[in-house]
Amino acid sequence: MSPQFFSPYLLSVLRIMTGLLFLQHPFAKFFKIPHVAMFDNLQLFSLTGVAGMIELVGGALLVLGLFTRPVAFILAGEMAFAYFIGHAPRGFFPLTNGGEPAVLFCFIFLYLAAAGGGTWSIDALRRSKSNDY
Amino acid sequence: MRFDSLARWSPQVLSILRIVAALLILQFGMAKLFGFPYVQMFQGIQLFSLYGLAGTIELVGGALLLIGLFTRPAAFILSGEMAAAYFIAHFPKGFIPLLNGGNEAVIYCFVFLYFVFAGPGPWSLDAVRETPLSHEMT
Repeated sequence: MSPQFFSPYLLSVLRIMTGLLFLQHPFAKFFKIPHVAMFDNLQLFSLTGVAGMIELVGGALLVLGLFTRPVAFILAGEMAFAYFIGHAPRGFFPLTNGGEPAVLFCFIFLYLAAAGGGTWSIDALRRSKSNDY
Repeated sequence: MRFDSLARWSPQVLSILRIVAALLILQFGMAKLFGFPYVQMFQGIQLFSLYGLAGTIELVGGALLLIGLFTRPAAFILSGEMAAAYFIAHFPKGFIPLLNGGNEAVIYCFVFLYFVFAGPGPWSLDAVRETPLSHEMT
């Protein structure tokens, strides 16, 4: 059995892990779990607040694997913005400007937008029940 | 659903993700072994220390991954290295990856694990090696 056989399952593992790690950011922003000093006194309708809302809804949908492609597409765009607004002004190298996770998230989401949610996702469940495609 | 048409590009985007992840991990190897980009923490690292060996794996593995040569074994070793990095360097500092600084290590670990199974995609030396020269690439 070739490793390729397990690829759709590992795609789901990657999606769920990335989604869970990603969810840490909105949780820190809105619910203070985990507590990050930078996110204290966050306004809901500020740039960071709106980013947090996208991350909360998008991250949750991603973990479930519901509407994976459009959600991942939006999140990839948001991470590109986060990188160029929040990190790129601080230096060229992602290693030193703190934008490394943003770049990684951006490209993982871009890939998820293309590859879909994998085997273990609500999208896959919905697909098997209907013949819309 | 219109977004499903993106699936056509999935192999190419896999290669893009591989190249970007490789470039990013190469930064760690270069910062540790060559001091470029400059990171205070990585100054004066011995080659045959834990950090030096990690840097060597990152440099060689990252370079192989970048060009897509021996992608699966290289990604497997890098994935394991990232898991070790997380549990040696970050996990003792706290449970939550966002706070113990191990966020990237976890993401790398799972991205590389995915490459082990998905392979390098079409834009890679592995793909070129597997294609006989007499045939046109499709």
